[in-house]
Amino acid sequence: MAFLNVEKINFAYPKSGLTVLDGISFSANELEFVSIIGPSGCGKSTLLRIMAGLIKADSGSVVLAGKKINGPSSSISFVFQDFALLPWLSNLENVKIGLASKPMTEDEREKTALDMLYKLELKGFEDAYPNLLSGGMKQRVGLARALVSNPILLLMDEPFSSLDELTANSLRKTVVEVLKDKKTLPKAIIMVSHNIEEAVEMSDKIVVLSNKPAVVKKILDVKIKRPRDRGSREFRKKVNEIYSIFAE
Amino acid sequence: MLQLIFSVILDTMYSWTRMLIALLISMVIALFTGIAVARSKKLNRVLMPVVDILQTLPILAFFPFAIYIFVFYLPGSIGVNAAVIFLIVTSMLWNIIFGVYQAIISLPSEYFDMARIYKLNLYQRLRKIFIPAALPRMSEQMSLSWAIGLFYLVTSEIFSVGTKNYAVKHGIGVEFVKAAATGNSYLYIYSIIVFVLFVIATRLLLFERFDRFANRYYLKDYKKRKRDRFTFNYFRSRGIKLDEETRHKLAITARIVFYALLTLLVGFTIYNAIPFVNLHLLSKLVGYEGYSLLSLLFSFLRVWGAFIAIIAISIPLSIKVVFLSNKTKRYLLLFQIFASIPATILLPAIAELVYGNSELLAFIIYFLSGLWYVIFSIVATTKYLPESIDEVKRIFHLNGIVAWKKIYLKAIMPGVITGAVTGIAAEWNASIVAEYFSAGSGKLITSVSIGVGKALNVALANNNLLLMGVLLANMVAMIIIINYFVWRRLYNRVNSVYS
Ligand SMILES: Nc1ncnc2c1ncn2[C@@H]1O[C@H](COP(=O)(O)OP(=O)(O)OP(=O)(O)O)[C@@H](O)[C@H]1O
Ligand SMILES: [Mg+2]
Repeated sequence: MAFLNVEKINFAYPKSGLTVLDGISFSANELEFVSIIGPSGCGKSTLLRIMAGLIKADSGSVVLAGKKINGPSSSISFVFQDFALLPWLSNLENVKIGLASKPMTEDEREKTALDMLYKLELKGFEDAYPNLLSGGMKQRVGLARALVSNPILLLMDEPFSSLDELTANSLRKTVVEVLKDKKTLPKAIIMVSHNIEEAVEMSDKIVVLSNKPAVVKKILDVKIKRPRDRGSREFRKKVNEIYSIFAE
Repeated sequence: MLQLIFSVILDTMYSWTRMLIALLISMVIALFTGIAVARSKKLNRVLMPVVDILQTLPILAFFPFAIYIFVFYLPGSIGVNAAVIFLIVTSMLWNIIFGVYQAIISLPSEYFDMARIYKLNLYQRLRKIFIPAALPRMSEQMSLSWAIGLFYLVTSEIFSVGTKNYAVKHGIGVEFVKAAATGNSYLYIYSIIVFVLFVIATRLLLFERFDRFANRYYLKDYKKRKRDRFTFNYFRSRGIKLDEETRHKLAITARIVFYALLTLLVGFTIYNAIPFVNLHLLSKLVGYEGYSLLSLLFSFLRVWGAFIAIIAISIPLSIKVVFLSNKTKRYLLLFQIFASIPATILLPAIAELVYGNSELLAFIIYFLSGLWYVIFSIVATTKYLPESIDEVKRIFHLNGIVAWKKIYLKAIMPGVITGAVTGIAAEWNASIVAEYFSAGSGKLITSVSIGVGKALNVALANNNLLLMGVLLANMVAMIIIINYFVWRRLYNRVNSVYS
């Protein structure tokens, strides 16, 4: 049994009644980075929210380290596409939100949160408020908040898609760097994306979804050696392979 | 009994006529002012600060003054009615202007380009672009204005009936006072029921329909809609982006110029006034000023005491309803019905309940007058919170005290501040009946020992225009100072972080 098992998930939004997810199954092993890609509006965010326990699936199950997910759990963390920072809290306070449910003293919380902010290159911005930051910096705070509690599963919903390409690139580098740190490394990472190159660059495995309703079209392993060079022949081949899946 | 109900309905129709005339006047003025202010930078710079200050003033407190002036120039009942309608207009106008203004400035610039390309003239631009574009927001603000106007209507009618010489002859307020004067509780209950039915009927028959009609013109690509009521709108952003330093310098220069002009003006006035002022008038003025300040102090304590109670209740109540209940819509509907009943019509009933304890009565009237403003203002701010906040709450397990401290209490802050400004203004509005009220023919229902509301009543009864002027000037100065030094600062601090 894999570390994370997504088993035959079915889901329809009660209001519209249209099936969004139709029997989605895939798995992730320990220390694996999995991307979910698919056309816009196919249900990627919905699937990720089911995995986070925010939405209940109509049928099927998500099992993490042998335990069924029934609701938000402190071992699962989430990075939002629109950052979802609380504007009235300083960046440090926002990161401390990630530790709100941990049994710690206020001092310990503060120190742990500061460490994480520094890791994400936010030194000097602890006391600033999120709305004064650029998008890239906001998402750094969002990542710090998600990682600070040492989650065993990290879910990211298009974490780079609200950023311009240059900012996104440098943030991807930081993320790869931070995730190398074995001490804070989540055991598995699931990222939703609609950017094929980004998925190939970052993942060990890619789950390709189709549209209306979403079914798993294909699951590909990406075995390219890291650090990955977007210009390399191997990389291009993988990218083209995925494009051709969508072209079918 | 049928006859009683019939007379109540007839009187309510008189009141509604005043309201509809006032609404129509407000709509026309607001439409043109709003469009003009949105399209002309110069007008904007002149008018917006004025509108901004006017909408935070308790204009109802000017009613005794207005009624005196109007009756002086217009014969009898026409004068009184004109004064009532004038007052209602001043209560309805401001937020409709802001609504229209907001609609026009958030219109995508392609529309103006289009107007230029096709060389539309002013009339065509108004008909084809500006008025349709303004309608949805205007309709949204109109129902708010109506609710505020009802409070003014009833309060000014009740007040007017309580005076010896300036009574309106017909109106729902007349029935309330008659019921109070004769202790006729049937009449009182019928009046409230008829009033509430009229409120509901107006909403269904007029506003809902107008809203449906107006929303046909709703543009999807409006820039993100912000808060409902635009208190301090002017101070927020003026479209022009200046860097921090220039803005700071400009602010300082503006302040220096303002104070210099003010000093000059005051100096000039005093210099010119000296030859005319006789000692008698001067000593009278000094006496009035002392009396005004003392009255103001007492009323201030009542108004702010009630405000603290409002805060203590409205904050937890709004948080419960907005964040912690799944029947939010139903609660809000209930609140809207309660809020449509002007606190001042409850005066006779509450007077019975508190056995004529005037202080307690004033406190309750103040409390009820300000409460809904604060609650609705809080609810309005939370409408624009990102949906993901709920998900953040669940993902990071923010429960109980932590959720209150880190989310709810913080999220409602802008709403509490704008609510405070409008709520306190509403409390002051109620002062002209909350502190002193006689149901005509010498039947005194309530009278506090000292207070602005009482002083205004007494001044009108004695035709003492000078005292009225002094009282109002003091009150306005106090409110502007508090808005400037307390609420605006708080608001700017909160707003720089929140948006
Ligand atoms: N709360 C909701 N109620 C009803 N339908 C919804 C809701 N949220 C999303 N949907 C619909 O479900 C489908 C899947 O939405 P979802 O947001 O999961 O897609 P997505 O793949 O994440 O899209 P995107 O690429 O735009 O982020 C869409 O058709 C959407 O319109
Ligand atoms: Mg999505």
